[in-house]
Amino acid sequence: MALLEVTDLRTHFFTRAGLVRAVDGIDFSVEKGKTLGIVGESGSGKSVTALSIMRLLPTPPAQIVSGSIRFDGRELTTLSERQLEDVRGRQIAMVFQDPMTALNPTLTIGTQIVEVLQRHLDLDRHSARRRAVGLLEEVGIPRAADRLDDYPHRFSGGMRQRVVIAIAIACEPRLLIADEPTTALDVTVQAQVLDLLDDLRRERDMAMILITHNMGVVAESADDVAVMYAGQIVEQASAHELFRNPEHPYTEALLAALPDLDDTRARERRLAAIPGRPPDLIDPPAACRFAARCAYAGCADSCTVEPPALRELRPGHWVRTAHPASEREAVAT
Amino acid sequence: MNEPLLAVSNLKVHFPIRHGLLFDRTVGHVKAVDGVSFEIPEGQTLGLVGESGSGKSTTAYAALQLLRPTAGSVRFAGRELTELRGEQLRRLRREMQIVFQDPYASLNPRMTVGRIVAEPLQTHGIGTRRSRRAAVGTLLELVGFDPAYTNRYPHEFSGGQRQRIGIARALALNPKLIVCDEPVSALDVSIQAQILNLLKDLQRELGLTYLFIAHDLAVVRSMSDTIAVMHEGVIVEQGPAERVYTRPESDYTRALLAAVPVPDPERMQERKAERRRLAATV
Amino acid sequence: MSATEIAGRMAGVEAGAPIRQSSLWQDAWRRYLRNRGAVAAGIVFLLIVVWCVVAPILSPHDPNRIYFPDAYQGPSWSHPFGTDQFGRDLFTRAALGGRISIGIGFGATVAILLIGVVYGAVSGFVGGKLDNGLMRFLDALYGLPYLPFAILALAIIGTVNFWTMVVALSIASWFITARVVRGQIITLKENDYVRAAKAVGVRWYAILGRHLLPNTLGVLVITIFLELPGVILGEAFLSFLGLGINPPDASWGAMAQDGRDAYRAHPHIIIIPSLAIATLVLCANFIADGLRDALDPRTRET
Repeated sequence: MALLEVTDLRTHFFTRAGLVRAVDGIDFSVEKGKTLGIVGESGSGKSVTALSIMRLLPTPPAQIVSGSIRFDGRELTTLSERQLEDVRGRQIAMVFQDPMTALNPTLTIGTQIVEVLQRHLDLDRHSARRRAVGLLEEVGIPRAADRLDDYPHRFSGGMRQRVVIAIAIACEPRLLIADEPTTALDVTVQAQVLDLLDDLRRERDMAMILITHNMGVVAESADDVAVMYAGQIVEQASAHELFRNPEHPYTEALLAALPDLDDTRARERRLAAIPGRPPDLIDPPAACRFAARCAYAGCADSCTVEPPALRELRPGHWVRTAHPASEREAVAT
Repeated sequence: MNEPLLAVSNLKVHFPIRHGLLFDRTVGHVKAVDGVSFEIPEGQTLGLVGESGSGKSTTAYAALQLLRPTAGSVRFAGRELTELRGEQLRRLRREMQIVFQDPYASLNPRMTVGRIVAEPLQTHGIGTRRSRRAAVGTLLELVGFDPAYTNRYPHEFSGGQRQRIGIARALALNPKLIVCDEPVSALDVSIQAQILNLLKDLQRELGLTYLFIAHDLAVVRSMSDTIAVMHEGVIVEQGPAERVYTRPESDYTRALLAAVPVPDPERMQERKAERRRLAATV
Repeated sequence: MSATEIAGRMAGVEAGAPIRQSSLWQDAWRRYLRNRGAVAAGIVFLLIVVWCVVAPILSPHDPNRIYFPDAYQGPSWSHPFGTDQFGRDLFTRAALGGRISIGIGFGATVAILLIGVVYGAVSGFVGGKLDNGLMRFLDALYGLPYLPFAILALAIIGTVNFWTMVVALSIASWFITARVVRGQIITLKENDYVRAAKAVGVRWYAILGRHLLPNTLGVLVITIFLELPGVILGEAFLSFLGLGINPPDASWGAMAQDGRDAYRAHPHIIIIPSLAIATLVLCANFIADGLRDALDPRTRET
């Protein structure tokens, strides 16, 4: 059984302008010790997915209207706020995008780590501090013992993100959700932080959900990848399979739209831009949500009228489109 | 005529660090840009890459005289900009424009799209009110923005559309040089490609010269003829894009290139190994 | 990222079309209308102003006619607020007093804004040594007690009338406004659209007038209603001390002063102007609160 199983999750926002279907029926699971990458552009619902699992969305306006989130066999959607407090930080921890606001500037980093340790584990102050030093060493902060009583502003962005990670892993959570953990960082620092997360996951046999807009980041760090578009998962497969044989027209288009670092003719080439922009989630089309921008959806197609179902094209490779790449080629030849 | 359109040499921008209760006194300097030199031939693009705080934006502002450089020379179309003052500089500004990173902060929220794009023309007293309105329509069409929305306000549009408005404003005075300061880093991948293509098309059609600043190395490669890599206020490597990307000479460039995550899991191990090797040497 | 932002970013339609249709002021107005307290305060405020303007015109009573047989009457049909010790109709007089109180209040507030905006804008826009000097000067003035300074100003000017009251009340109360405007200008100056305007060669006065000042408007509207209560209370205080407008003209403060002698036997004479002042000040505070919420983009609707 998978560590985390999400079935038919729907998170909607009840706003003045209307009902925003931010997450609209997604299924995925995360195995123990594995990393699931969730990629998507802004507004695709990837962050809302993460916050739904943590039940950190303000209600109202957000509400999980249906679906189940089972963590280690336990249903999270029906837990009370008090029960959730014992899950958050202890069982499931989260790393946010902005390391500048994730730490309280008025407390030393030592205080902030010790606080989490004492909240969830039965430790006295002294052993909690000893443990904090160990954690800081583990995330690669030099002279950890000396820096325990420093305030966050004394650390650079990358170092702060390491501290945030140290706090997240302090109670040995079994699932770590990282929401754009490297977006605010420079590329050299990004590489280091990703490597760190990967090492920690392996050493601690922790599961991880890595949420990002960056295709390169998921390719490097994820075992499995789910591509989100307009509140739905449109394609899901192992990272190798997804990047080698992308099936969904959106995934293909996203990869084609990226400038290639190793393309010697990049200067002359135009990029394959995706026309238009994602649909309004207040009143999404009843048909395939990508149809309006899809190069393969003809006007006589069923997919412009009714939504295609998520289907398993090959073992472990799920796709939600009427025009997967492999079937297109079959038709052409 | 072989003189480059823009020639920057030994450019320095130092910011004083001030302290004091009643009267400030200077206690030191931050050397944001410390002796930068480059040239851009007409019609070409120089890509300026670097991480945050490397001084790349400051270099651009100083080149445009939006910020007076502490030392050095900026020659634009054969004229020394650092010596120009007031009206002379104002007139020359028509020739060089800038596109910013944040499409939310770069457009005045209290002005309509039409007024924003017309402002450069109005400022330089070009045309009548009516001919300016026509020009705005043409400019907006050129950047792929529907002129029907001329009387709308910028906050009504998405990031990509706003960036198009910013580009139309930069084009209004028919400039020779456009500084693109991280023009796509706030945009989603699919929109980013649209804007990069637009910039490429405009360059070809209008013969524009670009100083293209970005932190994304793949984006810079797709736009640039030559590359300058900045680190801590100095250019650590400079050369034709092809050469810099395939045979980087400086360790910093090598580390930067190795750090870029590539959407290809097959090459992950090889790139991680390269990263570790570099980390050991640097 | 807040939930509302997430929800906002999810909205999007056809390529190129606006993603939402709205104007900044209309949005603010809608948010204001949703704040019941602020709307009620706004209506009461308007009613008071209308009463002040209209009542003296329509009233059958001459507000300044002294007629002792009518003195000290309680509220009745012909005199809804009763009469004072000279037999003058308080309903009419209170409206007239309101004209003066509110008039001086708005006059002084406008003066505060003018001085504050000019001082703050110059300081923030020019920056550097001038900014430093102007701000240190402001620091020095900051310590001045506001009312004693107003009394001193009146003494120096010598005469007391509507305009000298405006001067006295505004002369020592524009410091906060100046500081707020300076802060706004400095923040706005960092926006790329200001840099873009400079890059285009827009002249300094157009940058100030077109790109900076219009964007401080929201704050200025709030400032009007934040400053107004202070000024109206100040005027009332001065008049109560007998340092205000000369009889037979009267502001609310002066009317309250008139009622002081007989406050035990005829409390309505002091209560009516005091209530008027309190209501107006309370309304202004509520309106300022509502405006602040309405104009602050961070309090976006959910």
